[in-house]
Amino acid sequence: MSGIPTPRLSRRALLLASAATAIAAPAAEAQTPRPGGTMVMIVNPEPATLASYAVSAGNIPPITTQVYEGLLTYDWDLKPQPLLAKSFEVSADGKTITFKLQEGVTFHNGAAFTSADVAYSFMEIAKKVNPNGPVILRELEAVETPDAMTAIFKLANPAPYLMMSLSSNNIPIICKSVFEGTAPMQNPTANRPIGTGPFKFAAWERGQFVRLDKWEKYWKPGLPLLNRIIARFIPDAATRTAALETGEAHYAGYSAVNAADIKRMQANPILGSTTLGYGTTAATSVLEFNMRRPHLAKKEVRQAICYAIDRQFIVDNILYGFGKPAVGPLSSVFTTSGWFTDDVRHFDVPNRLEIANKLMDDAGYPRGANGVRFGLHLEVNSFGEQWLRQAEYLKQALGQIGVELTLRSEDTATWLRRCYTDYDFDINEPFYSAGADPVIGVHRHYVSSAIRQGTTFVNNKDYRSPVVDKLMDDATRELDPTKRADLYHAAQKQMVEDSPGAWLAEVQYVTIFNKKLHDHTMGPLGTYEAFSRAWLER
Amino acid sequence: MRRWRYFGYRLVFALPVVFGILVLNFFLIQLAPGDAASVLAGESGAASPEYTALLREKFGLDRPLLEQFLAYIANALQFNLGYSFRNDSPVFELILARLGPTLLLMLTAFGAALGLGTALGVLAAVARNSWRDALISVITLVCYATPVFWLGLMLIVVFSVNLNWLPTSGFENIAEGYEGWERWVDIGRHLVMPGTALGLFYLALYTRVMRASMLEQTGMDYVVTARAKGQTEGRIVFGHMLRNAFLPVLTMAGVQAGNLIGGSVVVETVFGWPGLGTLAFNALQSRDLNLLLGIFFMSACLVVLINLAVELLTITLDPRIQA
Repeated sequence: MSGIPTPRLSRRALLLASAATAIAAPAAEAQTPRPGGTMVMIVNPEPATLASYAVSAGNIPPITTQVYEGLLTYDWDLKPQPLLAKSFEVSADGKTITFKLQEGVTFHNGAAFTSADVAYSFMEIAKKVNPNGPVILRELEAVETPDAMTAIFKLANPAPYLMMSLSSNNIPIICKSVFEGTAPMQNPTANRPIGTGPFKFAAWERGQFVRLDKWEKYWKPGLPLLNRIIARFIPDAATRTAALETGEAHYAGYSAVNAADIKRMQANPILGSTTLGYGTTAATSVLEFNMRRPHLAKKEVRQAICYAIDRQFIVDNILYGFGKPAVGPLSSVFTTSGWFTDDVRHFDVPNRLEIANKLMDDAGYPRGANGVRFGLHLEVNSFGEQWLRQAEYLKQALGQIGVELTLRSEDTATWLRRCYTDYDFDINEPFYSAGADPVIGVHRHYVSSAIRQGTTFVNNKDYRSPVVDKLMDDATRELDPTKRADLYHAAQKQMVEDSPGAWLAEVQYVTIFNKKLHDHTMGPLGTYEAFSRAWLER
Repeated sequence: MRRWRYFGYRLVFALPVVFGILVLNFFLIQLAPGDAASVLAGESGAASPEYTALLREKFGLDRPLLEQFLAYIANALQFNLGYSFRNDSPVFELILARLGPTLLLMLTAFGAALGLGTALGVLAAVARNSWRDALISVITLVCYATPVFWLGLMLIVVFSVNLNWLPTSGFENIAEGYEGWERWVDIGRHLVMPGTALGLFYLALYTRVMRASMLEQTGMDYVVTARAKGQTEGRIVFGHMLRNAFLPVLTMAGVQAGNLIGGSVVVETVFGWPGLGTLAFNALQSRDLNLLLGIFFMSACLVVLINLAVELLTITLDPRIQA
């Protein structure tokens, strides 16, 4: 094994595995795991806080999922698997979920793990201070604890997405006795997490590293194998690459190195790479159209812009091939679950520019003397330079249909305020993760109830479609997978037709690792799951 | 005696200056659009309005500006720098953790540059228009014109990736867990490249100023007199000229010493050095106002103190300059 796991064979896993073997080194001869050693991983950027129960920024879980555990984990088919919950049972009406908990689990402070911790983590912490709480736990009314090892979730309505949101990175289980009677966000363990995971928090030197030490009393016998994990923070991408090349760091997930460097690193004999472990991310780059603006209020104009963009060009040249063209608001990651459909209006057709120009003419915007129909502003995503390159391409692409695009780059705070509070934008260029279920990360961009001024990354487009609202609302409660899939298929078709935004590319993250590090990517959660089985060859 | 009274006066005068800086900083920062709550909520990706409101309340951003200002001034007067909600940590602790590495890097780079720059400047001036002078001029020009980030990356490529002599980045090697002397040697190894990258720029600067200053002294009456007395060239240069010529360099170094606490964002970023520069930069990016104001306040105090120290040093070097 060379660190690449062998997932159970499924359509999805085969697809991912074939993608991975294309760029990863072939498996070496089998080796037996040996305990000990210190693994150094690169996390970028440095998290502001380790309070993963209250802040869900993407750079926190690689550290905190080593310390905090959730009730469930997921297999390669994204089916729920036991973690702190030994077993679970959903009632026929979908309104009661019974979890039997693992016995003999202790927190890093010595306290025994019981159903009281589960109830407190959900009702007092996640529901109140977790940014995803109001969405994921909307239907959760109470957690009953008939005995120390049983937790019964009572729901107001069925919530099929809830079972997809219980991993260590979604809702970490905290120790009730540590939090009781304190304000959760000012809790002393906000930056010194205490959980049940395989590694316990040891130290955080700001600007340098977080050190995690092996938890000797971990409940899974014989694990973890590593003695220590060090999460290092290196702000410069070129230096991160150098640290991997010299062997100073063993692991870097979430495309922490420049895409342009990846090809070179794949040729390095000491390094390997994989695209596995991002199964619950469904990251998609999109455009958002401000439908309050007169030009963009017209469907023809929005569709014309969708036609003008060559998505394959973006994948090949902006993402260096790490991704694929997006067809609609749902990522093709949802193919296994059945939610995704390809049966929508296709913008990548051979005569797309012809169609786009005709749509513009029909909308009543003829080309002026200089070939320009009208001008628009594009707000450049502030999270990295690849977005500026994409914006530069979009300027060219829209120029072909007579739209003069002016690029505006601002820092994160200014950009967010302009696009989500002031609504002073024409086209925005954000980047979304859908999460493990569309309810978690897709609905909020399109339903009209999510038009909430001042809230970031929700429906800022002023898109109001009673049809889509109804379909998505029904899908939230539908327990039958076939019916739920039908609802999502209809919603996708309608949204692509309306084009409140343009869906550009499904971004594929890459993990670079040292070949001495084995068994690091063991499931679809990847670096959002503890490295309990990872081991180092020495 | 008189000197110390003067020093006391200046210290008293410095108080309104620092206070003015406090007030100005506070209101300047308010001009930046967006706030810490929206940035944090944005990073969370999926935040609800309730969550953002909760953050604003927790950060005190929902209170009137004047109230925030008065609370801030009251805290600052008691040297309480406040709490960084974004980092869930007191501001003073955050700054203190970065102060050591920042001073180590800056003092090493600055000290080496000052010493070596002065020496090279003297060497160039003494051997004016010779090949040594030309060589020094070319070197300083190249050092001055090379972008620091490029120099840093090239050092990493050559000495870490290719030669494997030095670690690429960081302050120390945590994985090995060194202690005592071994730890200091390890930190020293980590210091070499960032110190060099940063120091070369200052080196170039001081060399050029020192050379110019030395040449200016050459034609002075006291030098002519000393030469007429038949003193050796060595005694003229080191006994008479050096002390006078050093004054402009000292003045310049005094001004730049303010950078000591500011750190260098570029070098810290390239070498992953835990300095104050990146801390301030990130605080600005994330609108962490308490932290940013704390850093501003600390550097304002330090700049005032360093300026006083430089003045004292100047008076000591040249007693003709009177208080």
